[in-house]
Amino acid sequence: MGEPILATSGVTKRFDGLVAVDDITYEVAEGETAGIIGPNGAGKSTFFNLLTGYFKPSQGQVYFRGRDVTVLPSYQRVMLGIARTFQLVSVFDSMTVMENMMLARVRQGPDYDSKLRFFFKNVHYKGLERECGEALETLGIAGKADTLTADMGYGEKRELEIAIALSLNPKILLLDEPFAGLSLVDIAHISEVIKKIKGKFTIVIIEHKISKLMDLVESLCVINEGALVCNGNPQEVICDAKVKACYWGKEDMVCY
Amino acid sequence: MFSKVEKYPALTLALIAVSFLIFGYSTSLPKITDFIIFCIFVIGFDLLYGHMGQLSFGHMLYLGAGAYGCGMFAYHVYPDPFLSLLVGVLVGAGLAAILGLVVVKTSHAAFALLNLALNEVGAYLVLSPLHTWTGGEDGLSLFFKSYGFINFSDRTFRFYFCLAALLLVVLLVVRLVRSPYGILLKSIKENETRVKFLGYNTYMYKYVTFIISGAIVGFSGALTSLNLAYCNTSLMAPSRNVEVIFAALMGGAGSVLGAVVGGTAFMTISNYLASYIVRWEMFLGVALLAFAFWFRKGIWGYARKL
Repeated sequence: MGEPILATSGVTKRFDGLVAVDDITYEVAEGETAGIIGPNGAGKSTFFNLLTGYFKPSQGQVYFRGRDVTVLPSYQRVMLGIARTFQLVSVFDSMTVMENMMLARVRQGPDYDSKLRFFFKNVHYKGLERECGEALETLGIAGKADTLTADMGYGEKRELEIAIALSLNPKILLLDEPFAGLSLVDIAHISEVIKKIKGKFTIVIIEHKISKLMDLVESLCVINEGALVCNGNPQEVICDAKVKACYWGKEDMVCY
Repeated sequence: MFSKVEKYPALTLALIAVSFLIFGYSTSLPKITDFIIFCIFVIGFDLLYGHMGQLSFGHMLYLGAGAYGCGMFAYHVYPDPFLSLLVGVLVGAGLAAILGLVVVKTSHAAFALLNLALNEVGAYLVLSPLHTWTGGEDGLSLFFKSYGFINFSDRTFRFYFCLAALLLVVLLVVRLVRSPYGILLKSIKENETRVKFLGYNTYMYKYVTFIISGAIVGFSGALTSLNLAYCNTSLMAPSRNVEVIFAALMGGAGSVLGAVVGGTAFMTISNYLASYIVRWEMFLGVALLAFAFWFRKGIWGYARKL
């Protein structure tokens, strides 16, 4: 595949003596769908947080399309095209579904550049509402537009969060355990959505069960105890001895 | 029924105007002028507290800054009422712009206390080191030029002028709150970290909000100077911060109409109850308990659901 879109070289994150991410050098090729797996507490989310600017690494660099973004604040990385979702769904419960979408969408549109419109224009205007409605449509939650987000089910909130991330014009989308805490129906639905958007831009998915990723990703990376164990073709990775060692006894591994 | 009012700014403005006209002519115009100015103060304060979620314990500083900015300009430079008002607003906004650079980096308890600390510093500066210009403990007695019917020593004119000012501020804030920026404020209140991952520089918007709030509160301070024709240290007294917090809570934080209802309710209690009950503050304390336990959304928060 093409050039790496996002890469790290030797990133490390320490929290008071605990090494959460230990010297990881990793890259994702432009356009591919990559998976990151590892047991709970392996450091996957912390690694994501380093990629998106939630944390600054204690050591090492993060590159986006060859540009060093290690110290770039998260909001600027978003504008470069790095969008993410959170392991515990994070949307704004006090607002309606439509308002959640608008907030994300406005930042990308022309109304943001004109400060007069950003501060004074009534947000409920046709163009923006239609645009946001379409975005909700792709996730199948358009009917919920005027619902207060707090009143939605967990699965629907996850769909909303993905819709929000998609409306940020991402070049690379980082999904942190998109299947966690969902019912089987919702898992199937989210999986469908990912298949639909796959290939349009780069996607990285964190998951701790390998089985859910096998038919989605082109490359797989295993993290254990903060360190990168193995990275490459999914079929090869799951046969790797080191990977088996850290997943030993897990049912998922026996399946393959 | 009442929630409809909020959907139409014109209706909101009309409701406020009519209420204050009835209120003013059925009681006393000067008293209601005080009410109106206090409501502007509450609106400015509530932009930070109710809309952005940061409680300031020191917004009397900006009221005082506006009052002294207006008063000192009229006293030392030129007694034009409109220029003095403008200077008051600019001093309020300017002070917020300088202090906000640091204040906005803090939040919650640190934010509340840092504002209080700055308020204390301001009150001290005005009282003592700057007394040559501020008049110290005695304050300044002011005189403003009049142009025909624009006469600030006429109480009826002052009433209408302040009412118009309130309507202007309400219109401004209603527009702000309905805009994309308004949604942004709401989201910052709920989860600031998450907003950054939508590409917003939240620090900048919190800073801008702090300045807007400083400007509105400064405006209410300048109006106070204009209305009373004097300014003294009581307009910057840190101990009076409770008043505006209480008013915002009582009316219902996070709503422009709530701020107006709260401001009016507070002023009614403190002006009228005092003539029946000597220690009326005790009643305020009991009322605050009731609001904290049973009426978290304030008077307007409940009325809008009727």
